Amino acid sequence: MSKPLYGIVLFHSTNWAIKAEKVLQRAGLEVKLIPVPRHLSSDCGVCIRFNWADEEAVRRALEEAQVEIEGIHI
Amino acid sequence: MFKRPFAPNVMVITGLVAGVLGALLVKAGNPPNMGICVACFERDIAGALGLHQAAVVQYIRPEIIGFLLGSTIAALVFGEFKARSGSSPIVRFIIGIFVMIGALVFLGCPVRTVLRLAGGDLNAIPALLGIATGAFIGVQLLRRGFTLGRSYKANSVVGWIMPGLMVGLLLLAVLKPAFVLASEKGPGSMHAALAVSLGAGLLIGFLAQRSRMCFVGGIRDLFLIRDPHLFSGMLVALVAAIVTNIAIGHFKLGFEGQPVAHTDHLWNYLGMVLVGLGATFVGGCPLRQLILSGEGNADAGIVVLGMVVGAAFAHNFGLASSPKGVTPGGMVATVVGLVVMLVIGLFMRE
Repeated sequence: MSKPLYGIVLFHSTNWAIKAEKVLQRAGLEVKLIPVPRHLSSDCGVCIRFNWADEEAVRRALEEAQVEIEGIHI
Repeated sequence: MFKRPFAPNVMVITGLVAGVLGALLVKAGNPPNMGICVACFERDIAGALGLHQAAVVQYIRPEIIGFLLGSTIAALVFGEFKARSGSSPIVRFIIGIFVMIGALVFLGCPVRTVLRLAGGDLNAIPALLGIATGAFIGVQLLRRGFTLGRSYKANSVVGWIMPGLMVGLLLLAVLKPAFVLASEKGPGSMHAALAVSLGAGLLIGFLAQRSRMCFVGGIRDLFLIRDPHLFSGMLVALVAAIVTNIAIGHFKLGFEGQPVAHTDHLWNYLGMVLVGLGATFVGGCPLRQLILSGEGNADAGIVVLGMVVGAAFAHNFGLASSPKGVTPGGMVATVVGLVVMLVIGLFMRE
């Protein structure tokens, strides 16, 4: 299986997604808010897309900023 | 590249079906430019149950039942039925009340706004600008940290309350007991056959659950994430309804003399600012609230119930507009609603 390009972070509410975007951009990571892909469902309509290579950094940054997440998916 | 399998197609199909059926339901008997109107139809249901006494708008609209249960069927088939609740229900209830009042000042929910425009009713343009303004203000507040809080997994009974209510309503619609009111004239008396309305509702509800179509979310996402996915559904619905209306001779361009409409641009605009803002707060337009309710989301169910109560207030207190125009009470209630929304938006932060 080829390596995934992007990962997705899901959130319980929109404000967390927006907060996460700010936190991750401040950490110098390349992220984008996108609509939640249909096959992943979530309580909130938007989610964060990140470069899968940054997975560790994304997890660490969100943990440090205490941003509550619903889950991370490929 | 990250894949969204078939996502655009389902959205296009949903918009197409909603637009075509939204226009055709008028041909089948629904009021003009009102093939689908979630706000108007919930208002009619409130009237049928005697919650308000406006004799011309009382009818158990099977479309509403269909939207919600169509979503339940889709959610069950695709394993997405999840009972959840706990995201500031009482605030959602209040927002539901004011969203209904705003919609009844304009005379239509965001879906009917699109269908009115598709029928050539240019009064829908200030209303669309209003929805966009409301969504834009809502996005600014979201960026400041506005939230109603997260929801939690709930006992499945919680998730089945709204689908259960719809089954009960369907029984009332079929059995027609004496205490259920039905308009003898006016918009409430104009309706397609029960099976047609229910079937159209089920189909649209099913597709809307699959596609996540939302008539406020589409505009919100343009501002919030610059993504046109949800908006594309609205656009397809608009084009499909215009083409259908022209084909069946229901297209009449202009501001004056439009059916179930008035020409007060300022209040058409402000009423829908209230709807756009409230809907952004609760995460979706009135149609989307029905779809979420069908998936077991009791927080959306509370918004729906708030809208039904809001409809009762709107008619009992003379807040709802009519083709004659806006009422003084409607103007006051719209301003009060906008203030309440701003207070909620500014103070409910994390």
